[in-house]
Amino acid sequence: MGAYIVRRLLQSIIVIIGVTLVSFLALQAGGDPTYLFVSERASTEEIEATRQALGFDRPLHEQYLSFVGDLARGDFGQSLSYRQPAMEIVLDALPATIELTLFAMILALMLAIPLGVLAAINRGTAWDGSITTMSMVGQSIPSFWMGIMMILFFGLYIRLFPISGNVPFLKPLIAGDFAVAFSNLPRTLYHLVLPGIAVGTYSLARNTRLVRSSLLEVLEQDYVRTARSKGIAEFRVLVHHALRNAWLPVVTIVGLEFGFLLGGVVVVETVFSYPGIGRLLFAAINQRDIPLVQAGVILLASIFILLNLLVDLVYVRLDPRVKLDGGRG
Amino acid sequence: MKRHTAPIRALATCVLGMSLLTGCAEQSDDTIVVGLSADITTFEPGMISSRDNANIARHIFGALFTLGPDGEHIPELAHTLEISDDGMAYVYTLNQGLTCHDGEALTAEDVAYTFNRIADPANRFTGNTPGFVFSSIGFESAEPLDDLRVQINIAQKNPIAFGLMTEVYVYCKDAYERMSLDEAASNPIGSGAYRLASWTRGSEVVLEKVREPGNFERIVWRIIPEASTRTAELIAGNVDIIANVVPEQVETINESGRASVQVVSGTRRMYVGYNLSAEHAAMPGGDAIQDPDVRRALQYAVDVPTICRQLLSVECERATGLVNPQNANPNLIPYSYDPELAGRLLDEAGWPRGDDGTRFFIRMQAGQGRYVNDVNVVLAIVQYLEDVGLDIELELMEWASVYTPLLRERSMGPLFFLGTGGGLWSPIYDMTDIARVSSGTNYTHWSDSRWFDRWPDMVNTEDLDEQRVIIDEMLEVFYDDGPWLHLYFQPDFYGVSDRITWTARRDEHVEIFEASLR
Repeated sequence: MGAYIVRRLLQSIIVIIGVTLVSFLALQAGGDPTYLFVSERASTEEIEATRQALGFDRPLHEQYLSFVGDLARGDFGQSLSYRQPAMEIVLDALPATIELTLFAMILALMLAIPLGVLAAINRGTAWDGSITTMSMVGQSIPSFWMGIMMILFFGLYIRLFPISGNVPFLKPLIAGDFAVAFSNLPRTLYHLVLPGIAVGTYSLARNTRLVRSSLLEVLEQDYVRTARSKGIAEFRVLVHHALRNAWLPVVTIVGLEFGFLLGGVVVVETVFSYPGIGRLLFAAINQRDIPLVQAGVILLASIFILLNLLVDLVYVRLDPRVKLDGGRG
Repeated sequence: MKRHTAPIRALATCVLGMSLLTGCAEQSDDTIVVGLSADITTFEPGMISSRDNANIARHIFGALFTLGPDGEHIPELAHTLEISDDGMAYVYTLNQGLTCHDGEALTAEDVAYTFNRIADPANRFTGNTPGFVFSSIGFESAEPLDDLRVQINIAQKNPIAFGLMTEVYVYCKDAYERMSLDEAASNPIGSGAYRLASWTRGSEVVLEKVREPGNFERIVWRIIPEASTRTAELIAGNVDIIANVVPEQVETINESGRASVQVVSGTRRMYVGYNLSAEHAAMPGGDAIQDPDVRRALQYAVDVPTICRQLLSVECERATGLVNPQNANPNLIPYSYDPELAGRLLDEAGWPRGDDGTRFFIRMQAGQGRYVNDVNVVLAIVQYLEDVGLDIELELMEWASVYTPLLRERSMGPLFFLGTGGGLWSPIYDMTDIARVSSGTNYTHWSDSRWFDRWPDMVNTEDLDEQRVIIDEMLEVFYDDGPWLHLYFQPDFYGVSDRITWTARRDEHVEIFEASLR
């Protein structure tokens, strides 16, 4: 297993370099970023001086190779807007996004599993129809629209939840300030409700359908029929025989879901003025703050790669037929 | 039944309890909250380049003189200014007893240090002060004459140097020599009425009052990029002032009973420019707009008040040129909307309608997402111009990456839509866009000698009355034969809670010093 993990991590370096190259070229394709860092009345000389100060006067390949060289030394460069180490800024915003993503994921899972099971064991009934329809609606609603509607209803009209902002929990926790972290916790959760629902609705809908279809497939299997014929209680059949096997596709999706949600919170973070990595990257892209975008992209890509690896490892534990060298036993 | 409702009641109790414990408390009377649309990136005065960023910094740092809401110069850290006979040395006399937030005495040496530090190329500052102010005034050096008098040396006489220097934020030498550039960017030690209490990047900036002026002990600047979220926060009573209200939400705010919208005619000049360069003269339609008679005819083709009313939700008076109304030539009357006259003048200029009903083909370019309702305004202008017979190919472009480079190269057009920032404190500041034919901001390449020959006379005269006569003469040339199709001064929309009294300024400066509770 150790060799497998090392091999996967080495492969991930190539993936990360590819990701940095694509994002670098994509940002450069948008034109010369110098103009975003000078006043509208700046003269040609001032623009040129700024271009040199920011390093955009060098050929593209030189800029990129210089960046990769610095990266190899662990230097992600300085943010052009903030004039501070880019990775520090990204890491500073990461805890807020992890809070939001985890909250949304837990919310989605807590509801998706019972709803999926409910729909599966009541296949063809009104329960099944309602849950399936709701799932389709949940997958169809854009998260930003959902966010704005919730702001209007829960934030403005019935004033039950805060409209925007956040209260940090993980950040003081990481800093070792446990008293502040736990005193913040109720307010953290309170601020997470609306953006969490906006982010998690799509996952909830998708996972509900996934649990339902996966469970329906398992419930048709011979071993389930055998268990029933042995007179085992239906609840026990469902939990111990059917659900355990229905987990496999769900675990795969859920593992990747975290990475998917991390990358997908950009719009919701903007709508709710939530100071996470998504909003930071959105602003950085607009401002063509290339080092900041690169640092964020590398961090997100790394998290995604690690989650993929983790899912593979968990899969082996759940399904003894799967082997890490690629084949099935 | 009871068992089924218990979880729901528990959840409701929990949520209500949390809402009471957390965010639903009324705002404190000693705190004012301002919602901004753009993030803050730095507190390093040499690096500040956005108005939102400058608005916050303005409360942390003092300036030698500052600008009042109507553009008047108001003494702040200094009380007197003397300008040398050759106009190249500005000597400011500071108030006694000034200090920075760390308690260090603020003297002439600190002011000189501030100016020289911003200009120091080793610091590689790219903000508005080194990039625009210093280059515009031709800053050369600053030196203390004694504890209270500091001399600023500029390369040549410049009638707007005094006003531009109000943009320079002053700090103390010892504090900034101790800090690295990184530290200075996030831990400002200022000389203004408020000090930085906390900065949560991407979320909020909290300032605490350390001295007068200011009616609130704390100012919280919250970063809320989404316009509808800002509006919701204002109506919910969580924010007292919001900037950049979109016109579609004006009615909602005004009908909320908790806030209202203040609309002010801003200083940004909106216009359709005619690119008169040789390159553009060779393009289809580029030859037609070389003729001042054609340009004048097109002034009558666009119904500007209707555009303001329908698309910007405000009543506006059409601009007569590039100078803000209070400093404009009072004898100039805004062009009326008269498409028949426009058509007749185009006929007379030698551009009658052809068989297909059009007079000439021309391309118009515009950036999108930069100005209030810009796309719809541009579409309306195109329709008006087509109504008098122009055949227009409209190119709407992404602002930052596509349109801005064209702007810097002065190569958009032949017709282009643009807004450029102006001021209230001097007509010459507004006219500086077109100080030289080659000015980077003369996007039109206009070269009328009646304007440019008078520029040195206007700048060099000592007689203010004579200067005013020259200005009016030049503005008349610009009005009659200039390179702009005059539109309007962009309105700025601010949402203001009924909890406070505050008056929006025209110059995009959001200053909280005078705000107070009702």
